Amino acid sequence: MTTITSAPGTRRAGSQLFLAVVTLAFLAPVAWAVISAFKPPTDIIQRPLDLFSAGFTLENYQHMFEDVPIGQGFLNTAIVLVCKGSITMIGAPLAAYGFAKYRFPGRNLIFAAVLVTLMLPVIVLIIPLLLEMKQLDWVNTYQALILPGSVDAFAIFWMRQVITAVPDEMLEAGRIDGCGEFGLFWRIVMPVIRPGLAGLGVLTIMNIYNDFVWPVVAASSTKMATLQVVLSTLAQNISGHRISADYATVTGELLAASSVALIPLLVLFIALQKHFINGILAGSVKG
Amino acid sequence: MTATAAETARASQAGSMRRWRRSARKWLWPYLFVAPFVAVFVAFSVYPLVFTFRLSFTRWHGTGPAQWVGWDNYGYLLSNPAFWDSLQNSAVLWLLVIPAQMLLALAIALLLNNAALRLRNLYRVAIIVPFVTPLVAVAQIWIVLFDKDYGAINSALGLFGLPEVGWLVTSQWAKPTLALLFIWKTTGFIMIILLSGLQSIDPAYNDAAAIDGAGRLRQVTSITLPLIRRTLMFAVVMQTLAVFQMFTEPYVVTKGGPYSSTTTAGLYLYNHINRADLGTGSANSFLLVVIVMGLSLLFVRLLRPKD
Repeated sequence: MTTITSAPGTRRAGSQLFLAVVTLAFLAPVAWAVISAFKPPTDIIQRPLDLFSAGFTLENYQHMFEDVPIGQGFLNTAIVLVCKGSITMIGAPLAAYGFAKYRFPGRNLIFAAVLVTLMLPVIVLIIPLLLEMKQLDWVNTYQALILPGSVDAFAIFWMRQVITAVPDEMLEAGRIDGCGEFGLFWRIVMPVIRPGLAGLGVLTIMNIYNDFVWPVVAASSTKMATLQVVLSTLAQNISGHRISADYATVTGELLAASSVALIPLLVLFIALQKHFINGILAGSVKG
Repeated sequence: MTATAAETARASQAGSMRRWRRSARKWLWPYLFVAPFVAVFVAFSVYPLVFTFRLSFTRWHGTGPAQWVGWDNYGYLLSNPAFWDSLQNSAVLWLLVIPAQMLLALAIALLLNNAALRLRNLYRVAIIVPFVTPLVAVAQIWIVLFDKDYGAINSALGLFGLPEVGWLVTSQWAKPTLALLFIWKTTGFIMIILLSGLQSIDPAYNDAAAIDGAGRLRQVTSITLPLIRRTLMFAVVMQTLAVFQMFTEPYVVTKGGPYSSTTTAGLYLYNHINRADLGTGSANSFLLVVIVMGLSLLFVRLLRPKD
């Protein structure tokens, strides 16, 4: 509390010190992992704090690419990202446009379904959805990874707010010019809401890329495992029954794999931070 | 004259025909627009929910006919210490996470709410970095960092002459270690939400208070906190939901151990799937929904401004 009551200069120094410590704590685990992945395995576990004087090696990456099907994981994640992402990015604004710009019998009832889906804990659906996948014979398929949750309720909720702000006069002008109802959506609404779509886009990428609970339940075979599922199997090698002779190697591989998984999203975040923050903020008003 | 009238009549008839056809199309369009959502909703939310509700009254292991058992699954869970332990573990995690995280996020947000602050944007970006990193990747990093024998954290403690801590291998430390992971991962997110709340406050309030001689601390407690009460409530509710559904952290880092000390409500539910005990799992799902929604409503009530 001294920083709050003392002179402005000290207070400013206090704020900077506090923020610097917090920033360091927030970045340290990631930085530590990325740097350590380039250290020889034995040094990682024997001198974990020694980040720069230890030797530089690509050994961990070599082992990791040999032992871990991370390429397949990236490929599966990419396929799901493109398919599920496209469905979300078109299906959600389309439904949102219907809710925002048309009055039709049943609208409130259907929109209530959106709200219920928003509030439902994800984990509740896991068992019945898995059984449904079994009935459809969809376990360990791309459909199972892509279709459930593809027209995301939160995305509809958010896009509805964005589209409501599009002036009706703009749509009327389009109608007078002979634009069809779908044309209004595709050629007027979609271009106008581009900033909102960018926010939704980055948030969708983040959610699909990081998704774990559903993929690990529905598609955990080696062939279908997404990147996050591949990563989690590595961790089990360590936390399950540790083979002490191999501990250093496995740790090195694990850090290399985690770094590889972290970096695409970090680069994306730093490049598009404004859209990310808008997306997070929009996410926060869903309650 | 008559010709023109007939023409006008015909024209208006054609016009109304066109208008009628357009309105027919207009009637159909919105349904087409929301159809993809409705299809996904019915197929992957309504159907499984109805299915799981029926299943929660049966004994079923995935094959053969399900056996109707009435309320037995619910009775079994409610009288099973393991079920209550999973809720207790989640409640303890909640206590470890929520107060600390809210204070930390609020402190950071208050400091970053000053446009003149140097390096403001750098701090803001750095503090959100954990939130955008994949949870599985950082959960793994946690395993390595907090290893009892080889981890960087114990090495760092050693530098200060402090003893080793069995972060992940003792029941009393496993929960704080997971709480730390959760706080680390999501505080940036909460901070951004609180910051947006702070930015909507008119600075005139604080200026007026400063003129009346209120110190910084007094301004925070008497002006800022009451004004962002709704935002704060929202953050608490959202994190409560997240803590009670916490699954990935214990699944990856501790597998629920040692001695079930980190078997959260979410992980306990998942364990029924692993044992193919689907009837009990379904009942557990519904109990969890009731608990989670009940808690949210409770917080909304508690934090609602009294007037």
